[in-house]
Amino acid sequence: MPYEKILLAKDQGLATLTFNAPDRLNAVSRKMIAEIKSCWEDLAADSSVRAVLLTGSGRGFCAGADLADPDREVSATADSGAALEKYFNPVIRLMRTIPKPIVSAVNGVAAGVGMSFVLASDIAIAGKSASFLQAFARIGLLPDGGSTWFLPRLVGEQRARALAMLAPQISAEQAKEWGLIWDVVEDGELLKTATELARRLADGPTMSLARIKEAMNRASKNDLSQQLDVERDFQRELGRSEDFKEGVAAFLAKRKPVFKGK
Amino acid sequence: MERTPVIAVLEGGVLTLVLNRPQRLNAMSHGLIEAMNHELARARDDKDVRCVLLTGTGRGFCAGADLAGPGPGDPDAGGQPDLGAAMDRLFNPMIRAMRALPKPIVAAVNGVAAGGGANLALACDIVLAARSARFDQAFVRISLIPDLGGTWFLPHTVGDARSRALAMLGSAVPAEEAERMGMIWQVLDDAVLRDEATKLARRLAAGPTLSYAAIKTAINSAATNTLDQQLDLERDSQRELGRSADFKEGVAAFLAKRPANFTGR
Repeated sequence: MPYEKILLAKDQGLATLTFNAPDRLNAVSRKMIAEIKSCWEDLAADSSVRAVLLTGSGRGFCAGADLADPDREVSATADSGAALEKYFNPVIRLMRTIPKPIVSAVNGVAAGVGMSFVLASDIAIAGKSASFLQAFARIGLLPDGGSTWFLPRLVGEQRARALAMLAPQISAEQAKEWGLIWDVVEDGELLKTATELARRLADGPTMSLARIKEAMNRASKNDLSQQLDVERDFQRELGRSEDFKEGVAAFLAKRKPVFKGK
Repeated sequence: MERTPVIAVLEGGVLTLVLNRPQRLNAMSHGLIEAMNHELARARDDKDVRCVLLTGTGRGFCAGADLAGPGPGDPDAGGQPDLGAAMDRLFNPMIRAMRALPKPIVAAVNGVAAGGGANLALACDIVLAARSARFDQAFVRISLIPDLGGTWFLPHTVGDARSRALAMLGSAVPAEEAERMGMIWQVLDDAVLRDEATKLARRLAAGPTLSYAAIKTAINSAATNTLDQQLDLERDSQRELGRSADFKEGVAAFLAKRPANFTGR
Protein backbone atom coordinates (compact mmCIF):
# COMPACT_ATOMS: atom_id res chain seq x y z
CA MET A 1 0.00 0.00 0.00
CA PRO A 2 1.50 3.35 -1.00
CA TYR A 3 1.62 5.85 1.86
CA GLU A 4 1.03 9.60 1.62
CA LYS A 5 1.25 10.80 5.22
CA ILE A 6 4.10 8.59 6.38
CA LEU A 7 7.32 7.24 4.92
CA LEU A 8 8.47 3.66 5.38
CA ALA A 9 11.97 2.43 4.56
CA LYS A 10 13.40 -1.02 5.21
CA ASP A 11 17.12 -1.62 5.22
CA GLN A 12 18.67 -4.93 6.29
CA GLY A 13 16.44 -5.63 9.26
CA LEU A 14 15.88 -2.00 10.27
CA ALA A 15 12.57 -0.36 9.36
CA THR A 16 12.23 3.42 9.63
CA LEU A 17 8.74 4.88 9.97
CA THR A 18 8.64 8.66 9.48
CA PHE A 19 5.55 10.79 10.17
CA ASN A 20 5.37 12.94 7.07
CA ALA A 21 3.02 15.91 7.28
CA PRO A 22 5.70 18.48 8.11
CA ASP A 23 3.49 21.49 7.27
CA ARG A 24 1.22 20.33 10.18
CA LEU A 25 4.09 19.42 12.55
CA ASN A 26 3.02 15.86 11.71
CA ALA A 27 -0.34 16.26 13.41
CA VAL A 28 -2.29 13.03 13.00
CA SER A 29 -5.21 13.19 10.57
CA ARG A 30 -7.64 10.30 10.05
CA LYS A 31 -5.74 9.49 6.88
CA MET A 32 -2.39 9.45 8.66
CA ILE A 33 -3.51 7.23 11.56
CA ALA A 34 -5.01 4.73 9.10
CA GLU A 35 -1.64 4.58 7.36
CA ILE A 36 0.24 4.30 10.66
CA LYS A 37 -1.96 1.39 11.69
CA SER A 38 -1.52 -0.49 8.45
CA CYS A 39 2.22 0.18 8.58
CA TRP A 40 2.53 -1.34 12.08
CA GLU A 41 0.55 -4.37 10.91
CA ASP A 42 3.05 -4.77 8.08
CA LEU A 43 6.04 -4.38 10.43
CA ALA A 44 4.60 -6.92 12.86
CA ALA A 45 4.07 -9.48 10.10
CA ASP A 46 7.41 -8.95 8.30
CA SER A 47 9.92 -11.33 9.88
CA SER A 48 12.81 -9.67 8.04
CA VAL A 49 12.26 -6.56 10.20
CA ARG A 50 14.19 -6.86 13.48
CA ALA A 51 13.96 -3.28 14.84
CA VAL A 52 11.93 -0.15 14.11
CA LEU A 53 12.99 3.50 14.19
CA LEU A 54 10.20 6.04 14.59
CA THR A 55 10.69 9.74 13.77
CA GLY A 56 9.09 12.80 12.17
CA SER A 57 10.00 14.87 9.15
CA GLY A 58 10.53 18.60 9.46
CA ARG A 59 10.54 20.60 12.69
CA GLY A 60 8.14 18.47 14.75
CA PHE A 61 7.94 14.86 15.85
CA CYS A 62 4.14 14.72 16.09
CA ALA A 63 1.78 17.45 17.29
CA GLY A 64 -1.02 15.04 18.29
CA ALA A 65 -4.44 14.63 16.75
CA ASP A 66 -5.08 17.15 13.96
CA LEU A 67 -7.96 19.30 15.22
CA ALA A 68 -8.20 21.05 11.85
CA ASP A 69 -8.51 17.76 9.95
CA PRO A 70 -11.35 18.10 7.41
CA ASP A 71 -12.22 14.42 8.02
CA ARG A 72 -12.75 15.03 11.75
CA GLU A 73 -16.34 14.63 12.86
CA VAL A 74 -17.46 17.68 14.86
CA SER A 75 -21.18 17.20 15.52
CA ALA A 76 -22.51 17.27 19.08
CA THR A 77 -22.90 13.50 19.00
CA ALA A 78 -19.41 12.92 17.59
CA ASP A 79 -17.73 9.90 19.12
CA SER A 80 -14.13 10.64 20.19
CA GLY A 81 -13.95 7.08 21.48
CA ALA A 82 -14.52 5.60 18.04
CA ALA A 83 -11.21 6.79 16.56
CA LEU A 84 -9.37 5.45 19.61
CA GLU A 85 -11.09 2.10 19.29
CA LYS A 86 -10.55 1.78 15.55
CA TYR A 87 -7.07 3.25 15.09
CA PHE A 88 -5.08 4.67 18.00
CA ASN A 89 -5.56 1.90 20.56
CA PRO A 90 -4.72 -0.89 18.10
CA VAL A 91 -1.54 1.03 17.19
CA ILE A 92 -0.47 1.37 20.83
CA ARG A 93 -1.27 -2.32 21.48
CA LEU A 94 0.78 -3.31 18.43
CA MET A 95 3.72 -1.13 19.45
CA ARG A 96 3.84 -2.76 22.89
CA THR A 97 3.39 -6.34 21.69
CA ILE A 98 5.39 -6.40 18.43
CA PRO A 99 8.32 -8.72 19.31
CA LYS A 100 10.93 -6.23 18.10
CA PRO A 101 12.46 -3.18 19.73
CA ILE A 102 11.16 0.28 18.81
CA VAL A 103 13.42 3.34 19.02
CA SER A 104 11.93 6.83 18.85
CA ALA A 105 14.03 9.72 17.59
CA VAL A 106 12.12 12.73 18.89
CA ASN A 107 13.16 15.54 16.56
CA GLY A 108 10.81 18.27 17.81
CA VAL A 109 7.56 18.76 19.65
CA ALA A 110 5.75 15.57 20.77
CA ALA A 111 2.29 16.68 21.91
CA GLY A 112 -0.90 14.84 22.81
CA VAL A 113 -1.01 11.40 21.24
CA GLY A 114 2.36 12.25 19.64
CA MET A 115 3.82 12.06 23.15
CA SER A 116 1.96 8.78 23.71
CA PHE A 117 3.75 7.32 20.66
CA VAL A 118 7.07 8.24 22.29
CA LEU A 119 6.08 6.70 25.64
CA ALA A 120 4.91 3.52 23.92
CA SER A 121 8.35 3.07 22.31
CA ASP A 122 10.96 0.91 24.00
CA ILE A 123 13.79 3.45 23.85
CA ALA A 124 13.26 7.16 23.19
CA ILE A 125 16.03 9.61 22.33
CA ALA A 126 15.27 13.29 21.89
CA GLY A 127 17.07 16.21 20.31
CA LYS A 128 17.88 18.99 22.76
CA SER A 129 15.23 21.30 21.28
CA ALA A 130 12.45 18.68 21.44
CA SER A 131 9.62 19.17 23.90
CA PHE A 132 6.82 17.12 25.40
CA LEU A 133 3.26 18.15 26.14
CA GLN A 134 0.19 16.30 27.45
CA ALA A 135 -2.03 18.84 25.72
CA PHE A 136 -5.34 17.03 26.26
CA ALA A 137 -6.68 18.92 29.30
CA ARG A 138 -6.21 22.18 27.38
CA ILE A 139 -9.16 21.15 25.21
CA GLY A 140 -11.21 19.37 27.86
CA LEU A 141 -10.01 15.80 27.23
CA LEU A 142 -7.89 13.34 29.17
CA PRO A 143 -4.54 11.93 27.99
CA ASP A 144 -5.04 8.99 25.62
CA GLY A 145 -2.87 6.66 23.58
CA GLY A 146 -2.05 4.92 26.88
CA SER A 147 -0.56 8.02 28.50
CA THR A 148 -2.70 7.71 31.65
CA TRP A 149 -0.99 4.32 32.07
CA PHE A 150 2.53 5.19 30.94
CA LEU A 151 2.87 8.42 32.93
CA PRO A 152 2.38 7.13 36.49
CA ARG A 153 4.70 4.20 35.71
CA LEU A 154 7.42 6.44 34.32
CA VAL A 155 7.33 9.48 36.57
CA GLY A 156 5.13 8.43 39.52
CA GLU A 157 1.68 9.46 40.69
CA GLN A 158 2.41 13.10 41.60
CA ARG A 159 4.10 14.16 38.38
CA ALA A 160 1.61 12.16 36.32
CA ARG A 161 -1.36 14.01 37.82
CA ALA A 162 0.32 17.40 37.40
CA LEU A 163 1.45 16.72 33.82
CA ALA A 164 -2.06 15.59 32.87
CA MET A 165 -4.01 18.34 34.69
CA LEU A 166 -1.71 21.34 34.22
CA ALA A 167 -0.47 20.38 30.72
CA PRO A 168 2.92 22.12 31.01
CA GLN A 169 5.44 21.91 28.17
CA ILE A 170 8.43 19.81 29.28
CA SER A 171 11.94 20.20 27.83
CA ALA A 172 13.87 17.21 26.54
CA GLU A 173 16.38 17.53 29.39
CA GLN A 174 13.62 17.59 32.01
CA ALA A 175 12.05 14.55 30.36
CA LYS A 176 15.35 12.70 30.62
CA GLU A 177 15.90 13.73 34.24
CA TRP A 178 12.45 12.42 35.15
CA GLY A 179 12.86 9.16 33.25
CA LEU A 180 10.24 9.86 30.60
CA ILE A 181 12.83 9.18 27.91
CA TRP A 182 16.19 7.44 27.72
CA ASP A 183 18.54 10.13 26.43
CA VAL A 184 19.01 13.61 24.98
CA VAL A 185 21.55 14.50 22.31
CA GLU A 186 22.39 17.59 20.25
CA ASP A 187 19.79 18.18 17.54
CA GLY A 188 22.38 17.73 14.80
CA GLU A 189 23.40 14.34 16.22
CA LEU A 190 19.91 12.95 16.81
CA LEU A 191 19.22 11.01 13.64
CA LYS A 192 22.74 9.58 13.49
CA THR A 193 22.73 8.49 17.16
CA ALA A 194 19.23 7.02 17.01
CA THR A 195 19.93 5.22 13.74
CA GLU A 196 23.14 3.70 15.12
CA LEU A 197 21.27 2.52 18.20
CA ALA A 198 18.41 1.07 16.14
CA ARG A 199 20.92 -0.57 13.77
CA ARG A 200 22.67 -2.18 16.75
CA LEU A 201 19.32 -3.55 17.95
CA ALA A 202 18.40 -4.76 14.43
CA ASP A 203 21.68 -6.69 14.37
CA GLY A 204 21.13 -7.96 17.92
CA PRO A 205 19.67 -11.12 19.46
CA THR A 206 16.05 -10.46 18.41
CA MET A 207 14.52 -13.21 20.55
CA SER A 208 16.26 -11.91 23.64
CA LEU A 209 15.09 -8.35 22.92
CA ALA A 210 11.53 -9.58 22.31
CA ARG A 211 11.48 -11.50 25.58
CA ILE A 212 12.88 -8.50 27.46
CA LYS A 213 10.01 -6.45 26.08
CA GLU A 214 7.40 -9.05 27.02
CA ALA A 215 8.89 -9.55 30.51
CA MET A 216 8.75 -5.80 31.18
CA ASN A 217 5.15 -5.73 29.93
CA ARG A 218 4.24 -8.46 32.40
CA ALA A 219 6.22 -6.95 35.29
CA SER A 220 3.76 -4.09 35.48
CA LYS A 221 1.05 -6.39 36.80
CA ASN A 222 2.96 -9.40 38.19
CA ASP A 223 4.11 -9.83 41.74
CA LEU A 224 7.79 -10.75 42.18
CA SER A 225 7.05 -14.46 42.59
CA GLN A 226 5.11 -14.61 39.31
CA GLN A 227 7.85 -12.63 37.58
CA LEU A 228 10.54 -15.07 38.71
CA ASP A 229 8.56 -17.81 36.97
CA VAL A 230 8.31 -15.69 33.80
CA GLU A 231 12.07 -15.18 33.82
CA ARG A 232 12.62 -18.93 34.28
CA ASP A 233 10.37 -19.79 31.33
CA PHE A 234 11.84 -17.17 28.98
CA GLN A 235 15.41 -18.07 29.94
CA ARG A 236 14.69 -21.73 29.25
CA GLU A 237 13.43 -20.81 25.78
CA LEU A 238 16.31 -18.41 25.02
CA GLY A 239 18.85 -20.99 26.25
CA ARG A 240 17.84 -23.13 23.27
CA SER A 241 18.27 -20.36 20.66
CA GLU A 242 21.03 -20.15 18.08
CA ASP A 243 21.85 -16.62 19.21
CA PHE A 244 22.53 -17.84 22.76
CA LYS A 245 24.92 -20.47 21.43
CA GLU A 246 26.64 -17.83 19.28
CA GLY A 247 26.77 -15.31 22.14
CA VAL A 248 28.47 -17.74 24.50
CA ALA A 249 30.90 -18.97 21.83
CA ALA A 250 31.84 -15.39 20.90
CA PHE A 251 32.27 -14.43 24.56
CA LEU A 252 34.59 -17.37 25.21
CA ALA A 253 36.57 -16.75 22.00
CA LYS A 254 36.70 -13.02 22.82
CA ARG A 255 35.29 -12.10 19.40
CA LYS A 256 32.22 -10.12 18.36
CA PRO A 257 29.06 -12.23 18.11
CA VAL A 258 27.11 -12.44 14.86
CA PHE A 259 23.44 -12.72 15.79
CA LYS A 260 20.79 -13.88 13.34
CA GLY A 261 17.65 -13.31 15.37
CA LYS A 262 17.02 -17.04 15.67
CA MET B 1 -15.28 20.40 72.11
CA GLU B 2 -12.76 22.25 69.97
CA ARG B 3 -13.34 25.37 67.96
CA THR B 4 -13.28 25.04 64.11
CA PRO B 5 -10.44 22.53 63.64
CA VAL B 6 -10.81 23.12 59.86
CA ILE B 7 -11.56 26.56 58.42
CA ALA B 8 -13.40 26.33 55.10
CA VAL B 9 -13.77 29.23 52.65
CA LEU B 10 -15.34 29.00 49.19
CA GLU B 11 -14.19 31.70 46.78
CA GLY B 12 -13.87 31.78 43.00
CA GLY B 13 -14.69 28.07 42.69
CA VAL B 14 -11.93 27.12 45.16
CA LEU B 15 -12.84 25.55 48.48
CA THR B 16 -9.88 26.33 50.74
CA LEU B 17 -9.57 24.02 53.75
CA VAL B 18 -7.18 25.23 56.44
CA LEU B 19 -6.14 22.78 59.17
CA ASN B 20 -6.52 24.92 62.24
CA ARG B 21 -4.95 23.54 65.40
CA PRO B 22 -1.74 25.58 65.27
CA GLN B 23 -0.91 25.02 68.94
CA ARG B 24 -0.58 21.28 68.04
CA LEU B 25 1.07 21.83 64.61
CA ASN B 26 -2.38 20.92 63.23
CA ALA B 27 -2.16 17.34 64.54
CA MET B 28 -5.30 15.45 63.57
CA SER B 29 -7.82 15.12 66.39
CA HIS B 30 -10.96 13.14 65.76
CA GLY B 31 -12.79 16.45 65.54
CA LEU B 32 -10.45 17.60 62.78
CA ILE B 33 -10.99 14.45 60.73
CA GLU B 34 -14.76 14.68 61.19
CA ALA B 35 -14.62 18.26 59.93
CA MET B 36 -12.48 17.21 56.94
CA ASN B 37 -14.91 14.45 56.03
CA HIS B 38 -17.79 16.89 56.28
CA GLU B 39 -16.06 19.40 53.99
CA LEU B 40 -15.04 16.73 51.49
CA ALA B 41 -18.68 15.64 51.20
CA ARG B 42 -19.65 19.25 50.58
CA ALA B 43 -16.90 19.61 47.98
CA ARG B 44 -18.33 16.57 46.20
CA ASP B 45 -21.95 17.75 46.28
CA ASP B 46 -21.62 21.50 45.75
CA LYS B 47 -21.27 22.25 42.05
CA ASP B 48 -19.83 25.68 42.84
CA VAL B 49 -16.74 23.90 44.20
CA ARG B 50 -14.44 23.13 41.25
CA CYS B 51 -11.13 22.75 43.09
CA VAL B 52 -9.99 22.17 46.70
CA LEU B 53 -6.93 23.77 48.30
CA LEU B 54 -5.61 22.18 51.50
CA THR B 55 -3.16 23.96 53.82
CA GLY B 56 -2.41 24.57 57.50
CA THR B 57 -2.39 27.47 59.94
CA GLY B 58 0.83 28.46 61.67
CA ARG B 59 4.26 26.83 61.44
CA GLY B 60 3.19 23.33 60.52
CA PHE B 61 1.08 21.67 57.81
CA CYS B 62 0.06 18.67 59.90
CA ALA B 63 1.96 16.73 62.56
CA GLY B 64 -0.02 13.52 62.05
CA ALA B 65 -2.53 11.90 64.38
CA ASP B 66 -2.75 13.70 67.70
CA LEU B 67 -1.18 11.17 70.06
CA ALA B 68 -2.08 13.30 73.07
CA GLY B 69 -5.79 13.31 72.25
CA PRO B 70 -8.32 10.60 72.88
CA GLY B 71 -8.55 7.96 70.19
CA PRO B 72 -5.32 6.14 69.50
CA GLY B 73 -6.06 3.75 72.32
CA ASP B 74 -9.76 3.09 71.61
CA PRO B 75 -10.12 -0.34 73.21
CA ASP B 76 -11.83 -3.20 71.36
CA ALA B 77 -14.40 -5.49 72.92
CA GLY B 78 -11.64 -7.47 74.63
CA GLY B 79 -10.13 -4.34 76.19
CA GLN B 80 -7.14 -4.33 73.76
CA PRO B 81 -6.27 -0.99 72.12
CA ASP B 82 -7.62 -0.88 68.54
CA LEU B 83 -5.90 1.60 66.24
CA GLY B 84 -7.69 0.05 63.27
CA ALA B 85 -11.11 1.17 64.48
CA ALA B 86 -10.37 4.90 64.14
CA MET B 87 -8.76 4.27 60.74
CA ASP B 88 -11.90 2.53 59.58
CA ARG B 89 -14.29 5.12 60.94
CA LEU B 90 -12.40 8.38 60.24
CA PHE B 91 -8.99 8.39 58.57
CA ASN B 92 -9.44 5.94 55.71
CA PRO B 93 -12.79 7.37 54.59
CA MET B 94 -11.05 10.77 54.36
CA ILE B 95 -8.26 9.46 52.09
CA ARG B 96 -10.76 7.52 49.95
CA ALA B 97 -12.96 10.62 49.62
CA MET B 98 -9.96 12.71 48.52
CA ARG B 99 -8.94 10.26 45.79
CA ALA B 100 -12.53 9.80 44.61
CA LEU B 101 -13.43 13.50 44.62
CA PRO B 102 -14.20 14.40 40.97
CA LYS B 103 -12.32 17.69 41.33
CA PRO B 104 -8.62 18.42 41.71
CA ILE B 105 -7.09 18.85 45.19
CA VAL B 106 -4.01 21.04 45.59
CA ALA B 107 -1.94 20.87 48.79
CA ALA B 108 0.06 23.88 49.98
CA VAL B 109 2.37 22.26 52.52
CA ASN B 110 3.39 25.23 54.64
CA GLY B 111 5.59 23.44 57.17
CA VAL B 112 6.26 20.05 58.67
CA ALA B 113 4.11 17.20 57.34
CA ALA B 114 4.76 14.29 59.66
CA GLY B 115 3.30 10.80 59.96
CA GLY B 116 -0.29 10.83 58.78
CA GLY B 117 0.20 14.51 57.94
CA ALA B 118 2.77 13.60 55.26
CA ASN B 119 0.41 11.07 53.73
CA LEU B 120 -2.54 13.45 53.92
CA ALA B 121 -0.46 15.71 51.66
CA LEU B 122 0.52 12.87 49.31
CA ALA B 123 -3.16 11.98 48.85
CA CYS B 124 -3.66 15.33 47.08
CA ASP B 125 -3.43 15.51 43.29
CA ILE B 126 -0.86 18.29 43.11
CA VAL B 127 1.41 18.97 46.07
CA LEU B 128 3.18 22.32 46.42
CA ALA B 129 5.47 22.82 49.42
CA ALA B 130 7.29 25.65 51.13
CA ARG B 131 11.08 25.39 50.95
CA SER B 132 11.16 25.00 54.74
CA ALA B 133 8.65 22.14 54.76
CA ARG B 134 9.61 18.52 55.26
CA PHE B 135 7.94 15.14 54.82
CA ASP B 136 8.51 12.79 57.70
CA GLN B 137 7.35 9.16 57.69
CA ALA B 138 7.76 9.11 61.46
CA PHE B 139 5.70 5.96 62.11
CA VAL B 140 8.54 3.50 62.65
CA ARG B 141 9.82 5.66 65.52
CA ILE B 142 6.71 4.62 67.48
CA SER B 143 6.69 1.09 66.08
CA LEU B 144 3.92 1.56 63.47
CA ILE B 145 3.77 1.42 59.67
CA PRO B 146 3.01 4.41 57.43
CA ASP B 147 -0.78 4.74 57.19
CA LEU B 148 -3.34 7.00 55.50
CA GLY B 149 -2.12 5.36 52.28
CA GLY B 150 1.58 5.99 52.85
CA THR B 151 2.65 2.44 51.98
CA TRP B 152 0.80 2.89 48.66
CA PHE B 153 1.69 6.50 47.81
CA LEU B 154 5.41 6.07 48.43
CA PRO B 155 6.16 3.23 46.00
CA HIS B 156 3.85 4.90 43.46
CA THR B 157 5.76 8.19 43.63
CA VAL B 158 9.40 7.55 44.54
CA GLY B 159 9.86 3.85 43.69
CA ASP B 160 10.43 0.73 45.73
CA ALA B 161 13.97 1.29 46.97
CA ARG B 162 13.38 4.77 48.36
CA SER B 163 10.01 3.75 49.83
CA ARG B 164 11.47 0.94 51.88
CA ALA B 165 14.27 3.17 53.18
CA LEU B 166 11.98 6.09 54.00
CA ALA B 167 9.51 3.87 55.85
CA MET B 168 12.09 1.83 57.72
CA LEU B 169 14.50 4.60 58.60
CA GLY B 170 11.78 7.13 59.36
CA SER B 171 13.96 9.92 58.05
CA ALA B 172 12.48 13.32 57.21
CA VAL B 173 12.74 14.45 53.57
CA PRO B 174 13.27 18.18 53.01
CA ALA B 175 10.90 19.74 50.46
CA GLU B 176 13.55 20.23 47.77
CA GLU B 177 14.60 16.61 47.94
CA ALA B 178 10.94 15.56 47.86
CA GLU B 179 10.56 17.50 44.60
CA ARG B 180 13.68 15.92 43.10
CA MET B 181 12.36 12.44 43.96
CA GLY B 182 8.97 13.18 42.42
CA MET B 183 7.22 12.76 45.78
CA ILE B 184 5.70 16.22 45.30
CA TRP B 185 5.18 18.45 42.27
CA GLN B 186 6.92 21.71 43.22
CA VAL B 187 8.79 23.64 45.92
CA LEU B 188 8.18 27.37 46.34
CA ASP B 189 9.63 30.03 48.60
CA ASP B 190 7.79 30.18 51.92
CA ALA B 191 6.73 33.78 51.33
CA VAL B 192 4.91 33.06 48.04
CA LEU B 193 3.55 29.56 48.72
CA ARG B 194 0.04 30.53 49.71
CA ASP B 195 -0.41 33.04 46.87
CA GLU B 196 1.01 30.74 44.21
CA ALA B 197 -1.06 27.81 45.46
CA THR B 198 -4.19 29.95 45.39
CA LYS B 199 -3.38 31.05 41.84
CA LEU B 200 -2.94 27.46 40.73
CA ALA B 201 -6.16 26.38 42.45
CA ARG B 202 -8.02 29.28 40.80
CA ARG B 203 -6.65 28.22 37.43
CA LEU B 204 -7.87 24.66 37.97
CA ALA B 205 -11.24 25.95 39.22
CA ALA B 206 -11.60 27.80 35.91
CA GLY B 207 -10.57 24.72 33.91
CA PRO B 208 -12.36 21.77 32.29
CA THR B 209 -13.58 20.10 35.51
CA LEU B 210 -14.89 16.98 33.77
CA SER B 211 -11.50 16.46 32.18
CA TYR B 212 -9.76 16.70 35.59
CA ALA B 213 -12.24 14.26 37.08
CA ALA B 214 -11.60 11.81 34.24
CA ILE B 215 -7.82 12.20 34.69
CA LYS B 216 -8.16 11.39 38.41
CA THR B 217 -10.25 8.29 37.75
CA ALA B 218 -7.92 7.16 34.98
CA ILE B 219 -4.74 7.56 37.01
CA ASN B 220 -6.39 5.94 40.04
CA SER B 221 -7.24 2.95 37.84
CA ALA B 222 -3.88 2.83 36.05
CA ALA B 223 -2.19 1.39 39.12
CA THR B 224 -4.06 -1.89 38.86
CA ASN B 225 -5.09 -1.96 35.20
CA THR B 226 -3.14 -3.61 32.42
CA LEU B 227 -2.31 -1.31 29.51
CA ASP B 228 -4.96 -3.14 27.54
CA GLN B 229 -7.69 -2.36 30.09
CA GLN B 230 -6.46 1.21 30.41
CA LEU B 231 -6.74 1.82 26.66
CA ASP B 232 -10.40 0.79 26.87
CA LEU B 233 -10.93 3.11 29.84
CA GLU B 234 -9.36 6.01 27.92
CA ARG B 235 -11.63 5.25 24.97
CA ASP B 236 -14.76 5.36 27.14
CA SER B 237 -13.74 8.54 28.98
CA GLN B 238 -12.69 10.28 25.79
CA ARG B 239 -16.04 9.41 24.22
CA GLU B 240 -17.84 11.04 27.13
CA LEU B 241 -15.59 14.11 27.26
CA GLY B 242 -15.86 14.50 23.49
CA ARG B 243 -19.54 15.35 24.01
CA SER B 244 -18.95 17.96 26.75
CA ALA B 245 -19.44 21.70 26.33
CA ASP B 246 -15.87 22.26 27.50
CA PHE B 247 -14.41 20.09 24.72
CA LYS B 248 -16.35 22.04 22.12
CA GLU B 249 -15.13 25.29 23.66
CA GLY B 250 -11.55 24.00 23.97
CA VAL B 251 -11.32 23.06 20.29
CA ALA B 252 -13.00 26.29 19.16
CA ALA B 253 -10.59 28.34 21.30
CA PHE B 254 -7.59 26.36 20.04
CA LEU B 255 -8.53 26.89 16.40
CA ALA B 256 -9.29 30.59 16.98
CA LYS B 257 -6.03 30.95 18.97
CA ARG B 258 -7.80 32.51 21.96
CA PRO B 259 -7.95 31.41 25.62
CA ALA B 260 -10.73 28.92 26.35
CA ASN B 261 -13.63 29.85 28.60
CA PHE B 262 -14.43 26.60 30.41
CA THR B 263 -17.59 26.17 32.48
CA GLY B 264 -16.98 22.72 33.96
CA ARG B 265 -19.76 21.17 31.88
